[in-house]
Amino acid sequence: MASEEKTREILKAIQDAVVGYDEETCERLCSSVLEEGIDPHRAVVEGLTGGMERVGELYNSQEYFVPELLLCADALNAGLNVLKPHLKIEDAARKGKLLIGVVEGDIHDIGKNLVRIMFEAAGWDVYDLGNNVKIERFVEEQKKANTDIVALSALMTTSMLAMPKIIGALKAQNPGVKVLVGGAPLSQEIAQRYGADAYAPDAVAAVKRAADLIG
Amino acid sequence: MSMRPDMMSNKERIDALLKGRPIDRVPHFPFIPGFCARNVGYPIAVMYSDAGKSFDAQQKTMEQYGFDWGPLYGYASYGTWEFGGTIKMPEGDYEQAPAHVTFPVQSEADVAGLQLPDVKKAGCLPTAMAFSHLQEKSDTPISVICGGNFTIAGNICSVETLCRWMLKKPDLVHALLRLATDHIVDLVRYWVETFGADRVIPQMWEPSAANYILSPKQFERFVLPYLQESSEKILAMGVKHILYHICGEQNANLPYWAQVPMGDPGLASLGEEVDADTAIKYFGDTCVIIGNIDGKVILEGTPESLYRLCTETIAKLKHAPRGYMMCSGCELPPASPPYNVYVMRKAINDAGWYE
Ligand code: B1M
Repeated sequence: MASEEKTREILKAIQDAVVGYDEETCERLCSSVLEEGIDPHRAVVEGLTGGMERVGELYNSQEYFVPELLLCADALNAGLNVLKPHLKIEDAARKGKLLIGVVEGDIHDIGKNLVRIMFEAAGWDVYDLGNNVKIERFVEEQKKANTDIVALSALMTTSMLAMPKIIGALKAQNPGVKVLVGGAPLSQEIAQRYGADAYAPDAVAAVKRAADLIG
Repeated sequence: MSMRPDMMSNKERIDALLKGRPIDRVPHFPFIPGFCARNVGYPIAVMYSDAGKSFDAQQKTMEQYGFDWGPLYGYASYGTWEFGGTIKMPEGDYEQAPAHVTFPVQSEADVAGLQLPDVKKAGCLPTAMAFSHLQEKSDTPISVICGGNFTIAGNICSVETLCRWMLKKPDLVHALLRLATDHIVDLVRYWVETFGADRVIPQMWEPSAANYILSPKQFERFVLPYLQESSEKILAMGVKHILYHICGEQNANLPYWAQVPMGDPGLASLGEEVDADTAIKYFGDTCVIIGNIDGKVILEGTPESLYRLCTETIAKLKHAPRGYMMCSGCELPPASPPYNVYVMRKAINDAGWYE
């Protein structure tokens, strides 16, 4: 069993490996978490997720761009794959379930993928439908996966017009489901007009809004 | 309302602008295929699949709304199909342009097997060539539109894969950019051989190099050298002007864009993200500036707010040293209210004359 000091040192090194997008080191450090008898849940929250939070800040302050962010997410996932089988069932219980997709007519999926990465890093169960997703598919898949939240992304003024229809159809099927929207042409005002429960301007804010929505 | 009568034909105006001679008023540059389809009652897909209908819809709409340049054929997902992947034509209420479905490069190993497309047969190019024959017949500028080098590379393997490889496998990125660059040169050469260097004005759209995605340093390393290379080779064929659509947020890239030769004058098409002073600072001395009316205002703004935006933009850019053409910042949203499209021309009529 590692001392608290040693534990903190390893967790900090995991954070640094995520921030430095060093997949191999991250994987190795996560294995050492298991060898040293450190709680894997703590390693996920304080090490991997903590690292990705720092990455989100670096992205928002334009020190990191999409290439760095994608590789940081790869490092996080490499570590998570090592730790996941060792999480206790109650620890593995995720923060919430989220269905995400880019709306019909739109293939701009880079922003949506960043949003997905941030949710995964924060411990959500994410069902990703990809891009150019038809209205009926959102409704069907929400029912199947019974998610708390549906997250809709649109990058075009043309495609965002599908959002009110999707929101209407989702709420008709399941009045309790919460809908989060985002993407460059959206705004708080448009989100409200479309009947969404929340709007987020970026991937980091999206996770916070979603957490607020499910209380 | 009645428009003040023009003192030049569209062709005379554009020719004079490109030769640096005085013109009567600011020209109205079109970036409007989806809107044209709706305007004449065609599905948007025909703008990309049927050269004749596409040309016809654009010509009719341009006459109705007073555009100056002439019909154009092209879309931003260019490269996927031509290099062996698949695309899907737009359908339904919300789709605006062709979209990639499968990428020609799915793994690192695929890069080595990739071949340069046959520019006479690949993907959309037979339709693009048929379209250019219609441009030739109607005596409007002959365009050949493709992605910028980086956007084509992103359309070959997906932008995210390209981003990952930039940091992990830069050699693969350079290999794809080499193919994209050689393809652009091949493509323009085919158009030049068919129509003559004097008539061809290539258009390169470069959305995937925006600073939403890349850092300016990454742009300098991966994008700039290839843009410079293809531009130099195209200009060496005798082409006089190249249009670059510098799509999206690219402010931090502009010092590099200013180093890309675009002809004399070049044509720099900018989004609403770039303000007028910045546009003049980087491109004023070398390029005609094209842009940058915000599509969101065209789609959702009141006619009054759009009119104000257009007249203010005209006032700021009309005296750019090499000239200015008013245009939407990117493709005009197809569902824009027709009255707003008319308002853009009205703004030129009220504020765009040179006396
Ligand atoms: C659910 O909760 C949330 C919460 C937050 C959410 C969220 C969801 N989703 C996103 N967010 C937020 O968080 C993210 C990170 O913090 C952010 O995500 P973003 O997606 O904004 O940011 C990404 C990280 C990086 N940003 C991007 O990836 C988009 C960059 C720009 C330049 C862009 C690109 C790269 C592309 N494009 Co195109 N493209 C543009 C874009 C300009 C712009 N203003 O956005 C835009 C979106 N494109 C446009 C156009 C017109 C088009 N594009 C097209 C094609 C392409 C490429 C394929 C070349 C490429 C996309 C590659 C890909 N796989 O995504 C065509 C459409 C294809 C289609 N069928 O969808 C085509 C129609 C062009 C054509 N005629 O062919 C414009 C749309 C105009 C309009 N109608 O509104 C555009 C705004 C450019 C412009 N300057 O006007 C936030 O918005």
